[in-house]
Amino acid sequence: MGGFGHYLASHLVTMRKEFWFLFVGGVANGFLYGMVAVGYTLVYGVLRLINFAHSEIFMSGGFAGYFVMKALIGTSSPNGFATVYLIIIGIVAGGVVGAVVATLLERVAYRPLRKRNAPKLAYLISAIGASYFLFNMAGKEFGRYSISVPQPYINHTVFTIFGAPVQLYYIVILIAGVIMLLGLDRVVATTKLGRSIRAVAQDAETASLMGVNIDRTIALTFIVGGALGGAAGFLFGLGTGVVYTMGFTPALKAFTAAVLGGIGNLRGAMIGGLLLGVAESLSVVFVQAAYIDVVAFGILVAVLLFRPTGILGERLGRAA
Amino acid sequence: MKLRLNKTVAAVASSALLLMAVPAVGIASASGAASKPTYTIGYEGPLSGGNQQLGLNMVFAVQLAINQANKTGKLPFKLQLKTYDDQGDPTISPTQAQSAVHNKSLVAMVGPAFSGATAAAEPYFKAAHLATVSPSATRVSLATSGWNNFFRVVADDGVQGPADANYMVRKLGKTSVYVVNDGTAYGSGVASAFAAQATADHATVSTATVPGTTQCQNGTASATQYSAAATQAVASGAKALFYGGYYCDLGLFLGALKSAGFSGAIMSDDGSLSPALIQGTTPASAANGVYLTCACASSTNKSFNLQYQALAHFSAANATYAPEAYDAANAIINAMKSLKKITRVAIVNALHKLSYKGMTKVIKFQKNGNIAGSAIYVNQVKNGKIVQLGLE
Amino acid sequence: MKSILTHQLFRRFITAAAVLAVVAVMTGPAGSTEAPTAGFTGSFSERSSFFGFFETVRWVPFLFLALVFFGVWTLWLSRGAQIKSGVSQVMQVPRAATQRRPVRWGIGVVLLFVALILPHVINDPFWQAAMVEQIAVYVLLAIGLNVVVGFAGLLDLGFVAFYAIGAYVTAWVTGALPTPPLFGIHMDPFFAIPIAIVIVMVAGIVLGVPTLRLRGDYLAIVTLGFGEIITIFANNLYGITGGSQGTSLIPHFSLHIGPIKYVWGLAPVPYYYLTLVFVVIFLLAFSLLEHSRVGRAWTAIREDEVAAESVGINPLKYKVMAFAIGASTAGFAGVVTASQSNNIFPSSFSLAFSINILVLVIFGGMGSIFGVVLGALLIQTGSMYLLHSPPAGYQSSDLYIYLGALLVVMMIFRPAGLVPSRRRRREIVLSEAGEGHMNEVLTGDQP
Repeated sequence: MGGFGHYLASHLVTMRKEFWFLFVGGVANGFLYGMVAVGYTLVYGVLRLINFAHSEIFMSGGFAGYFVMKALIGTSSPNGFATVYLIIIGIVAGGVVGAVVATLLERVAYRPLRKRNAPKLAYLISAIGASYFLFNMAGKEFGRYSISVPQPYINHTVFTIFGAPVQLYYIVILIAGVIMLLGLDRVVATTKLGRSIRAVAQDAETASLMGVNIDRTIALTFIVGGALGGAAGFLFGLGTGVVYTMGFTPALKAFTAAVLGGIGNLRGAMIGGLLLGVAESLSVVFVQAAYIDVVAFGILVAVLLFRPTGILGERLGRAA
Repeated sequence: MKLRLNKTVAAVASSALLLMAVPAVGIASASGAASKPTYTIGYEGPLSGGNQQLGLNMVFAVQLAINQANKTGKLPFKLQLKTYDDQGDPTISPTQAQSAVHNKSLVAMVGPAFSGATAAAEPYFKAAHLATVSPSATRVSLATSGWNNFFRVVADDGVQGPADANYMVRKLGKTSVYVVNDGTAYGSGVASAFAAQATADHATVSTATVPGTTQCQNGTASATQYSAAATQAVASGAKALFYGGYYCDLGLFLGALKSAGFSGAIMSDDGSLSPALIQGTTPASAANGVYLTCACASSTNKSFNLQYQALAHFSAANATYAPEAYDAANAIINAMKSLKKITRVAIVNALHKLSYKGMTKVIKFQKNGNIAGSAIYVNQVKNGKIVQLGLE
Repeated sequence: MKSILTHQLFRRFITAAAVLAVVAVMTGPAGSTEAPTAGFTGSFSERSSFFGFFETVRWVPFLFLALVFFGVWTLWLSRGAQIKSGVSQVMQVPRAATQRRPVRWGIGVVLLFVALILPHVINDPFWQAAMVEQIAVYVLLAIGLNVVVGFAGLLDLGFVAFYAIGAYVTAWVTGALPTPPLFGIHMDPFFAIPIAIVIVMVAGIVLGVPTLRLRGDYLAIVTLGFGEIITIFANNLYGITGGSQGTSLIPHFSLHIGPIKYVWGLAPVPYYYLTLVFVVIFLLAFSLLEHSRVGRAWTAIREDEVAAESVGINPLKYKVMAFAIGASTAGFAGVVTASQSNNIFPSSFSLAFSINILVLVIFGGMGSIFGVVLGALLIQTGSMYLLHSPPAGYQSSDLYIYLGALLVVMMIFRPAGLVPSRRRRREIVLSEAGEGHMNEVLTGDQP
């Protein structure tokens, strides 16, 4: 017992020294997880299934951002106003390509099954197949090595929190994340599209009787979720570079975040993302970095077993 | 930049090469002395997948050595190349090894390129008494497994790690080192050898394992871990960092280290010695100043560089392990020259006795197949380019 | 103009052309980040041989194929029903024949005979090695996963974990790990077989009891996570597993019974026969199981969990059983692979491996033992052929493009697989007609 007390005490000392460093990085990751997680949650709402291929939407957004940045920046080092518009262009490019891939995915891998009212197992398998097809295809066409994205800014420490430097990159993620997630929240809460998404999520049959076009709503849901996932892919790629397998782990974490917050619950997905990002980042104080993913999976299994509805509870179809 | 462009060319060129090499040799031998027997030298290494470039670097060098040998016309035999693609994967290499062993005209092998693949394939080569001369497999235990047909023309990790530590502590004067490994067999091997020697040199050493990521080949971890890992490196207060692993993950780590404000010297092994390191680092300037060491030399031989460029359509300057592959192929060819009757067993025996001056070093093997002598070269990234500083 | 664009035939032709364009890119040259369009443009502009008739740019044969495809499709839509009934009438005779037990046994004996003489017909060592490492072992894994996915309807994406455990247990029992061997002595891999199977089944139960209550899609993710975690531990627990270097000291099987002394060596053929024996044992056991009480309970749970529960079947118990029984073949496969190759490396136990096995089951036909075996034989032979003599434009790292596409295509056109189990086909038809409770049941949704 004394041994454990000592272990804990020594780690808490480390924790105090590094807390804010780790916290800042964790929050930035958390926003990315949140943006991907809403994609899972939205699709889960309307189709009642996990979009296994969401990771590849993320990956394609990353590549779109890479090619656009490469074309626009080349070897120059932009700053000031140019930085702002380059980041916006990158987010739009990632979002548009993400939405296109999501649409194709829905048309090819999901709609034919939906038309036949296929069992759910079939959707899962079809999505896994699409995912493997897409990322290996990206590997074939764009090479199988990691490549860094030309930077639209010179990354530097903007300010410090309790001695922990906060990078410009983190601030970009924070601002973009807040704007997009708040925007989505409003769209789902107030617009006609949002109402039809919620209606389909609540009861697809009744919604269609009430004149909601289900096909169209599902397609639009994929577009919205895909756009956010693609934009997140661009932001992620900006920090760590792009490669064909880049979607796998972040998407798995994002799924964990969605479950943590309560699947189907938009705000839950965002909060789940932040919590997971921070928890995972702080866990390195206690375990080796090699086991970070084990911590994340541990959280997933614990939530599924002990509180399967997540922190905020499943909210399929209720006001977001 | 340059390398990537070349990679496309190389991919096209290599497929053309692999298709055309055999008929070209066939025609040459028909017009020459028709009675000359033709022998095959094999190459096993990664010719597809994420490590393809490394395999291509080597395969062109082997082809060049064979072309030159055929061209002299003095040899009593003709040579041809057959390649076996193992993707660097130990689960594929035994199958390829068995296929190679079955090829009756195959008399010796350059490769396998990777240590894991070598460990898995070597029992089959041994059973067939087929000599394998690896240009790049550096795991220590390969030489101690009792394979008398195993040779390599580079120093092993057991030489490299300590040499790196001596350079870091004695030459650069860093008294505290944070040693990181990527959890791969290779990375952890080099890192632990480094840590042991650095401790013996009276430096303060702390170690960490930061596993390879899904961003890179065969990794499992998330790329987001590096910000936390870098924070810990800074918090350790170490004056220097050694990374045992590969370029792809190191590139991610360097960006995070810069963000976290790490200002000490950074050194890594030959797994990181690739122009792709600079390409994969965000921002690229974070790679500047990094020391990269290797038992391999970058080629300064002009005539080799010219001929290599003509064959491969990319520069030999960036082609890691191409000079070693060239030496490995020539070691086999020289061994064959000394023989009256060429058999697999005879080549193994001849290689044990061989001593000649190769391009990178004197090629003379110890009894266990390791190269005699242990040159380690140190390189540094300067202004986005890798520059060889010299011997450690 | 508008009427042409929206015309059904036109749209059908565009779809056909789009499908063939994707196939052209799949089989075309590779690109890189420096030349991201090279792969796409090369896929159409490169020259290739048009079925050996003449040299032409690649889009010509693909356009021709698109036309043929379009024609067949149109014909199928108008005459499909007739063709179908015609085929099914012709097939009636053999189908009826295969229903009869003596005929089935006869076919089984013939196939076994073919399997027995095969290594003597094929002399190429590449293929002899592939028959053990890549085909027979995969058949075993596929029939194991079939119990989980096909019989019990549970999507397990972490099947590789059991295979890894089997391999590591072999290393442990034979004393090839840094940890002291089980019972303190270096045993023959033969003893590893029962030990590995027991440990793997226990692992299946330990993993299954908490997670099999979950909805099907959650189960898929949790099992996927389990597979990854096993690899992470294998990679990092240096003192126990040897870390990422793996271990390379696992001995071959050997027999010492009285005067009989036999050691399995590097040659693949003896391993082939050893594996074949176990394939036959597992096949017989699983066929018996399918038609036993347990098998019927699985079917009942798969089709309607609530109804099954109401007649006294404990769903969790039978699901856990499926998990454990399915895992047993993976455990045995792990023993064979470890002993045959002498090596194990954590990097080979990847998610891609689990997906590969899943493809075999889905392609062959979930729930149909014969189908799954056939699927495994066809796909593994195909992928080995591609590795052995890759056609132009194919690299062995492209394999998963084809496997991924195959999964999607199967789900769209033939969800029950190549040789569907009759029961499974009926369930899918029922589900698609909106009858029964398949939507919920196949993923284990609680009402």
